[in-house]
Amino acid sequence: MTADLAAAPTATKPPPPRRHPARRRRWPRVRHFAGFAGPGVLVYACFVLAPILVSVWYSLTNYNPFNPPTKFTGLHNYRLLFTDTEFLTSLRVTTVLTMMVVIVPNVFGLGIALLLDRRGWLYNALRSVFFIPVVLSSVVVSVIWTRLLDDDGLVNRTLRSLGVANPPGWLSDPKYALYSVGAILSWQLLGLCVVVYLAGLQGVPAELYEAAAIDGAGPVRRFRAITWPLLAPALTINTVVLLISGFKVFDHIQVITHGGPGTGTTATIAYNVLQTGFVANRRGYASAMAVLMLVIIGTVSAIVLKVLQRREVDL
Amino acid sequence: MKRILTLGLVALAAAAGLTACSTKDTSQGSGPKEITFLTFETPNLTPQYWDAAIKRVTDKYPDIKVKKLVSPDQDRTTYAKQLLTSGQFPDVMIAVSPAGFAEAGNLYAWSQSELTEFQFPDNGAIKGKVYQLPANTQTIPIIYYNKSLFSQAGLSSPPKTYPELLDAAAKLKAKGITPFVVGGGHDALGPTFAGILATDVYAKNPNWMHDRRAGKVKFTDPDFAKAAGKLSDLASKGYINKRDLSRDYAGTQQAFLDGKGAMYAMGNWFAAALDSPQTKPKFEVGQFDWPSDDGSLVVPAFTGGGLLVSATAKNLDAAKKFALAFQLDKGNLDNSTTSDGLFPAVKGYTPPATTGAAFKAGYELFHQAVTANAVVPAFGFEAGDDGMLPGVVEKWVSAAADLITGKPVAQVCKSLDTEWDKAS
Repeated sequence: MTADLAAAPTATKPPPPRRHPARRRRWPRVRHFAGFAGPGVLVYACFVLAPILVSVWYSLTNYNPFNPPTKFTGLHNYRLLFTDTEFLTSLRVTTVLTMMVVIVPNVFGLGIALLLDRRGWLYNALRSVFFIPVVLSSVVVSVIWTRLLDDDGLVNRTLRSLGVANPPGWLSDPKYALYSVGAILSWQLLGLCVVVYLAGLQGVPAELYEAAAIDGAGPVRRFRAITWPLLAPALTINTVVLLISGFKVFDHIQVITHGGPGTGTTATIAYNVLQTGFVANRRGYASAMAVLMLVIIGTVSAIVLKVLQRREVDL
Repeated sequence: MKRILTLGLVALAAAAGLTACSTKDTSQGSGPKEITFLTFETPNLTPQYWDAAIKRVTDKYPDIKVKKLVSPDQDRTTYAKQLLTSGQFPDVMIAVSPAGFAEAGNLYAWSQSELTEFQFPDNGAIKGKVYQLPANTQTIPIIYYNKSLFSQAGLSSPPKTYPELLDAAAKLKAKGITPFVVGGGHDALGPTFAGILATDVYAKNPNWMHDRRAGKVKFTDPDFAKAAGKLSDLASKGYINKRDLSRDYAGTQQAFLDGKGAMYAMGNWFAAALDSPQTKPKFEVGQFDWPSDDGSLVVPAFTGGGLLVSATAKNLDAAKKFALAFQLDKGNLDNSTTSDGLFPAVKGYTPPATTGAAFKAGYELFHQAVTANAVVPAFGFEAGDDGMLPGVVEKWVSAAADLITGKPVAQVCKSLDTEWDKAS
């Protein structure tokens, strides 16, 4: 590789008279970087871009592997989506769930990070405790919480022993099921927020707090004037990651509620995509849902990122 | 630079080579013919049950080697679709709904000469062809009842009419006993709804599902709506606890065995749990058919549920040979009666004398219905042209949950028609 780089500028043949000299000089560098980027780009193209393109194509057809032939239907599937109450309900469910997942772990994560931003073995141990749910498989977390929130689970048995005759059906009552799933997701993602906020807090210079204390600023004033503004990058990271995690929730729903109880209670868009594609076999229509979901996630994430980054600059 | 590219290509080629090595083609040569077999597990159908059943066949045919696959949950049909899509369609499957697979040419159509041993060789046919071996009959549901809890409520005999059933439920509830044990999902909730639909829909029109396919009837029609209203009514009166919807199938069965409710509408396979020394409850359990309004006998049953073979199996002959041998082996049939309470629909077969009391009681109820010509299809459990369109069964289960959680009956029935239209 070194030989290649060295050889190019010292070539004995004189270059053709001033035809694309810049391009000729750039070519060895392009080849050099292509060597590094090539495998990654190839994998990305094969396993990310190509499936997306295939999905876009399917979304323009009536593809059903059990009911050939497949015909091009243009934007018919997309038009259908906007009148499909099942899809619109799953969009509402996904939005509510995402809002919970963005707000709850952010608020509690910040609070816990502020409490844990100290030295000592106990605080180190507690940081690990809060991070454990993040590394657990979603399926494991879902099974644990299903057992806990079951009608005969630990939570309701405890409530009954405390004298609550009719404890809520956390997963079986349509009024509570979505919020129960949101709480489980928030619990699992809380550790991620704690770690990101802790990293942000450790980057805040201690001199700023000392100077503020000398000026007579109390804890609330110090938080508002120093901590909160300097945690702006951490807030951006957490919000975008949680936003994406919330929008694509599937595994928790699959294990905990199977989209129920009944219809239109906890079925998210991702869950609906799988049901429509693999149970009802309407792969073309399911692809249209998936493409629309991609567009929504991309657009919302880009807007949120832009707004939060502008806030970082303003601060 | 060139070295890096060369190394990259070599790595990719090695990976491709390793991938290719993982798929062994045994279609040629004289070694054992390997086939894959998709099974599923329940409290009755344990890993040991499947291993023993497979071994009985492979002992008979040592030239067949079976790789057992297990569905990750009860929904083996969806899992089979995922396997098909990812190019791993099993060679042999059991109790997978053939709808969709058959029309797309993924399944082998059995010839009449291959089905001569079966009592109902045309059951579950799709456009005249049978893809799933019509191996056994299941009554769905029978109502199993806890005699001890019935006595506590002053009930000396099981109800014979639907008003009597409601009366019994009221007496049980008054004593603080949950009248019906249900769970969430197809197998845990479906049998209860199937019982009502048998007496209110299929008893009047056994061809209801064919008529729905032809557009002659709808879910919003009075008979279906009345049945849906009955389920909703059971929940609104507190005879079905909506909180129980969070239970899975195994949890639902266990709840009844633990005495957490008086009645359990379930397929006759539940008899196996009642007869097994490991799971037999401490209280006595009786059985009765889901009662109709006037007490006339109606018994919903389904014959099918057997093995299916992939049309593209690498070792198609071995797969067919395995499937037929698995289904007709006397040891397997005996075991299916004792372990899963099934009624084998095989000519000349009689269950072993060692079957338990619960199995015998259920078998007797079924034969009474056959004699009285009172057998109708089991709604939501039918297959082939007798069944719902792909994807609608799951909506039907969700609709049942909606009725229990208090959604208006008319809205639920209308949504089922909408889902049917979408699936058409």
